[in-house]
Amino acid sequence: MALLEVKKMNAGYGDADVLRDVDLHVEEGEIVAVVGSNGAGKTTLLRALSGVIASRGEVRFAGRDAAGMAPDEAFGRGLVQVPEGRQLFDRMTVQDNLRMGAFRRRDAAAVRRDFQRMYELFPVLGERRNQLAGSMSGGEQQMAAMARGLMAAPRLLMVDEMSLGLAPVIVERLLEVLTDIQKQGVTVLLVEQDVHSALSVADRGYVLERGRVALTGPARELLDDPRVKEAYLGL
Amino acid sequence: MRALVWVLAAAAVAALAIVPFTLSPVMVQFGISMLLFAVLAQGWNIIGGFTGYASFGNSVFFGLGTYGTAVAMVQFHLSFALGLVIGAAVAVAFAVLIGLPVLRLRGHYFAITTLALSEAVAAIISNLDIAGRNQGLILPLIRGDTMFYELSLGLMVLATLTVLWLARSRFGFGLIAIREREDAAEVMGIPTTRYKVMAFALAALFSALAGGIQAYYLTFIDPASAFDLSLNVRMIIMAVFGGAGTVLGPVIGAFLLSGVSEVLASYITGVASLFFGLVIIAAVLFTPKGVIDAARRLPRRGLAYFLDAVRETRL
Repeated sequence: MALLEVKKMNAGYGDADVLRDVDLHVEEGEIVAVVGSNGAGKTTLLRALSGVIASRGEVRFAGRDAAGMAPDEAFGRGLVQVPEGRQLFDRMTVQDNLRMGAFRRRDAAAVRRDFQRMYELFPVLGERRNQLAGSMSGGEQQMAAMARGLMAAPRLLMVDEMSLGLAPVIVERLLEVLTDIQKQGVTVLLVEQDVHSALSVADRGYVLERGRVALTGPARELLDDPRVKEAYLGL
Repeated sequence: MRALVWVLAAAAVAALAIVPFTLSPVMVQFGISMLLFAVLAQGWNIIGGFTGYASFGNSVFFGLGTYGTAVAMVQFHLSFALGLVIGAAVAVAFAVLIGLPVLRLRGHYFAITTLALSEAVAAIISNLDIAGRNQGLILPLIRGDTMFYELSLGLMVLATLTVLWLARSRFGFGLIAIREREDAAEVMGIPTTRYKVMAFALAALFSALAGGIQAYYLTFIDPASAFDLSLNVRMIIMAVFGGAGTVLGPVIGAFLLSGVSEVLASYITGVASLFFGLVIIAAVLFTPKGVIDAARRLPRRGLAYFLDAVRETRL
């Protein structure tokens, strides 16, 4: 059974629906990419999933009905977001930012192990654990934001626009990390404008266009699809 | 170093506790006012310093505490202890009810909205027969400065221990997250609304208890003095002067500024508040993070600390 299953989701702001009849599913252990251009509804999808805005339609998460949850309830069930723009606590240390990710966890020993795991996954964060998060570079901040999300021990990590404003070599490194954490058993929903990067690391992909799923399939096939090439890759 | 601070703090509390038995009645009266100010500054510290919501509604909690206690004692002939409990309960209930809508506002909007609360509640109280309308209420007179002093000291210690717990607890960590970045706190699964309302209620509890003690101590209250906005301004100044968001800062701020304003008032009566204003301006300019931060870093940084502060303030 799918970890996340969305059927006929409609969501938007006020009377205007941005998402129209979106069907989507994420299997346990997968990396699924949702790609599309500006205004296609990618962020709206994430906001609807994490309960920040209301939605209509069917949402099941880990076998239970998950439509219309409040944000902290969604978080409690393991739907964790790495928000667009990173949203770190700039005036707190890297270590305190990671602690914030584990805010709701009460298994102290496992949290300690996860700190260790994060510093192995992102050695630079280990070196800078006592530095203020706001004083780091954009790439380091993105790593801190992902580590903070992972500290919540998510069942599904939803990563929003990870590559925004970062140098290609940094994006490359972050994509490697995604496959690393996939190997450690974390399921990832990656929402990206950078179609090529996202599909190169994902198992499957969805192409959103004007709030609808225009194309879906294995990421490899999407990368080779002439329509994707033409519209998004400029080939 | 840390242990030393707490030994000193314990010694200071012990020294304060014997004041009524060693110093003059005038000093005891000054002490009561100083300690109650420390409680108020500490209460503001919870919502303003830790949670980052600059509240001007704390003087309303204080006023509700005074009226709750006074009405219970005068109209219903209940004991002082019961009056305190009732005053605190009224203020906490008010904080929860008003907090649910008002704490959705952020920054200046929150400040402005709470600013209006004082006037509104004072106007309502002035029209209630049970609260003595405009004339206010006169409480039974007792002579017991020592009792009031020790009670205020106990309350101050309790408020400070509460803030100490806050600084180390999960709840307090969540409040700091809200102060630092509320959207991110929400993404991290912190129930922000519940936490903010709880912080507001905790601030209300201490403000109201201080109000209850003040009412019985002064034996007379009226709407103008109970819901005095300038009292709220003083709490903020004391908390920020000492160090908002720290455990001991607001207490130190309240002690120092109470002392300064008392000295100024007795030597240069007419222009005391002018000089008080100058002290505040100097403090904001040179020690914007509070005297507790200055005390910590000054020995190492020397005069450069003040220069950095002036540069960072960017007036």
